[in-house]
Amino acid sequence: MKKYLILSAALSLVFWGCKKENTFDGPSLNDMYGDFAIVHGLDISNRDVDFGAGQTTYFTAEFTKNVNWQLTITGLSSGAVKQLNGFSNVLNVSNALWNGTTTHLPMFRAEDCAVALSIANVADTLRDTLTVAGTRINNGFVLADFESGMNPGWVPFIQSGANMNFAVQTGSGAAQGSRFYNMAGAVSWDWLIGMIDMPASAYGSAHMPLTSNAANLYFNSMIYKPAGVTNGLVLLQFREDDNGDGAFSEGTEDMYSIQVSLMTDGWNQVSQRYEDIPTLVNGSAAGALGNGLHEPDKLLKVSVLFLANPSSGYSQSAIDYLIFTEDAPLQP
Amino acid sequence: MKKSISLITLFWAFTQVSFAQENKKVFLTGGARGLFYGDQLHQDATDSVTIPKTNNGHVLVDLGVSIRPNKSTEIQGMVRVRNDYGGFWGSGVSFDVRQLYIKGIIAKAVRYQLGDINYKLSKYTFLNSDQEVISNSPEIFKQQTRIMNYDNFYYADSTWRQQGASVDFGIQFKKYISEIQFKGITSRVRTSDFSNINDRLFSAGEIKLIQSKYFSLGYIGANTYDIPGTSNNKITFHNPVHTVHGDVAYQQEAHRLVLHGEMGTSQVRYDNATEAPILKGNLYEAQLFYSNEEKGIRASLASTYVQPDFRSAGAQTKRINFNAQPQAYTRIGNDQYLRTATTLDYMRETDAYNRQLSPTLMAYSPKYDNITPYGAATPNRQGYAIRVNYAKKDAPASLRLEQLIWKEVKGEGTLTLKQFYRTQLNANVFLNQFFGDKTKARVVEIFFRNDITKRPGENKIPSVNLTTQTASIGLCYELKNHFDVLARVQQVHYNGFDLLAIRNAYSQIYNFSEYRVNGKEQMYSLGARYRFNEKSTLSVNYLMFKNVNTDATLQNYQINQLMLYYQLNF
Repeated sequence: MKKYLILSAALSLVFWGCKKENTFDGPSLNDMYGDFAIVHGLDISNRDVDFGAGQTTYFTAEFTKNVNWQLTITGLSSGAVKQLNGFSNVLNVSNALWNGTTTHLPMFRAEDCAVALSIANVADTLRDTLTVAGTRINNGFVLADFESGMNPGWVPFIQSGANMNFAVQTGSGAAQGSRFYNMAGAVSWDWLIGMIDMPASAYGSAHMPLTSNAANLYFNSMIYKPAGVTNGLVLLQFREDDNGDGAFSEGTEDMYSIQVSLMTDGWNQVSQRYEDIPTLVNGSAAGALGNGLHEPDKLLKVSVLFLANPSSGYSQSAIDYLIFTEDAPLQP
Repeated sequence: MKKSISLITLFWAFTQVSFAQENKKVFLTGGARGLFYGDQLHQDATDSVTIPKTNNGHVLVDLGVSIRPNKSTEIQGMVRVRNDYGGFWGSGVSFDVRQLYIKGIIAKAVRYQLGDINYKLSKYTFLNSDQEVISNSPEIFKQQTRIMNYDNFYYADSTWRQQGASVDFGIQFKKYISEIQFKGITSRVRTSDFSNINDRLFSAGEIKLIQSKYFSLGYIGANTYDIPGTSNNKITFHNPVHTVHGDVAYQQEAHRLVLHGEMGTSQVRYDNATEAPILKGNLYEAQLFYSNEEKGIRASLASTYVQPDFRSAGAQTKRINFNAQPQAYTRIGNDQYLRTATTLDYMRETDAYNRQLSPTLMAYSPKYDNITPYGAATPNRQGYAIRVNYAKKDAPASLRLEQLIWKEVKGEGTLTLKQFYRTQLNANVFLNQFFGDKTKARVVEIFFRNDITKRPGENKIPSVNLTTQTASIGLCYELKNHFDVLARVQQVHYNGFDLLAIRNAYSQIYNFSEYRVNGKEQMYSLGARYRFNEKSTLSVNYLMFKNVNTDATLQNYQINQLMLYYQLNF
């Protein structure tokens, strides 16, 4: 009896092993071999979405196998484009959520939008529409969005060159909202074509209302390059009141600069952490002029200069939506 | 410099021979070999580019000097002097240090070895598994297989040749416990290039408690790991494996039952590589052995479970490097396309073999072995195996039967699991037991293996059905006084389709490739051998190898090989 018990126990141990797992390794073979079919077509969770009120919307669809898909939302007034991509057999809140942000500038406005879902190796495109009832609100200190025209505290300077056009313009071409600041002209004797000084006093304070943590602060701006214009430069200057006397002393206090060569046609976003903004002298990196500390809470004035080689003739650019954000660059 | 050192070593060795004979503290050991191949290639397709006949061979001497400066220490150095046929006046001659070690016993209790070490632990932690197909070759082919194994330090006990240090000792007790054994080894697997490659070590240890001949319990820890700071590369590889094993035995008269179990876990991680995954896997094995020595019967029933992410460099490293190109007739045909390596190449090309532990799963050839490409530790396998052996002194035959019924633990690309079936028969019929002089070596060797991999298709996913049948029959017949006639016919036939996993640098599956084969490799061989004594043989044999590939007709060819082989061990 004893030996049969031992044998039974031993056999039980031997036959104890096999188990089955309910997942598999590697990509699904169904994606390689299975037929594609739409199980559920494109649908939108919120067709009248107010991003300004904190709403979001997501898109749903389901296929018989995993596919590479691209969802494109296009603002019918602004031309703003948002793209969502994925490789899956289902679109849902986890992979097709839209919070009102933009992939290709300009930014969305309150407008109707076309939605198109295209699938790799599938000829048909699924289409739908939605309405943006309100645009998303970006947290931060807006230096200029030109929606109310020129701030009376700003100090523009425009050379008396040819074909000069420095003005707030209204129309569908704005990066954000409906207005932007156009900068254009030809100056044959100087690099500077025109500029705007934006002092802290224009905002009712001695210094810009910014955090003291330069590592956590980002400066963002939209800069426009017209097609065919290649000679323009936009120089952004940040003057600090190092000694706290309420005035900027040239050469003894810090002035940091961002120089933007206009390379890509259309609106471009420029975002830079404040701590990383360098000191430039004639476009080249140089040693600090003041205490060398990035102190955004001592920022006295921001200047936007539009430059071009005097021998290169007419040039043009535009700016819109200058904003300081904290924690991360602007997500337009 | 290398040659100079070898020459000095040789000179020193010879001058010490007389000394050895006088006081027996120095011994010569080693072997000599003469090997010649004459090959002729025949192709179905017209080929005016490839030279059809090639001859090559070599003579070599492995000269080892064992020195015993005292009763508890032995030092051995062995150099290999090799001269390829056609190499005169030093050209084509090579000198290599084949092995060098110091071993001994400290205080009559602790055995140690430094330098070259042959070592193994369990089949899931550190074991050198046999190579595919040719491990089951008959005697006439084994002559060549033995050369491969000897040159690559593959021994019958499945040890890995490592360079490092080992120590073994045991503590014996008077009551309750018979003995506790301790084993340890550390070896260098890879050397730093002082730039981007870190030193890599393999360390392992075993503690085994032997209560009596009826019960034992052990723990093995093995780790293959990079040493940080030995290069500029901050990323370091780590593959710790831990297993616990035990045996419970029961004996009544000649009947003996042993329940053996081993279970463990492994991890692979790359420190300081943020994108690298951490692979964790478990294994479980239980085997019930039955043996009756009086009747010559041994049988076992085994259950195996190895998870897909179980990784053990010491146990999963393969002998054959399937990425290697054949050296003989590397390119054939008027277009000089690459010739696929075959069992003939793996039987005689030393360069197709790997000697060092691989941190990742090496390439394998499903047409030769799709079931156990990484030995017993092949990941993603579970199932049962039944083995029956019959072997008895003076019996007219010996027999070994094996049936594996395995499947995957986890599907690859689908939830449906692949099923694996292996049926294997090894049989020897000893003709000398039926007629003539019973002391003569006269045996018929039969081998058959049928491997099947299956998975049903679903929707548009094609079904998997890959079969490999290996069959051979051989004759070793001693005509007269150590003069043997050897003959053999062998065929490997593979046919079917499988979807093979393509793995990334971390051994994770990221894609699949279609694998379709339909072909066979046939060998016919006839030869003669004279055994001067147990340590010295002279062989000549003629082999016809035919490769037939239905799907790739350019790979259809025949190679006829004449081999002359002399081996002397001393």
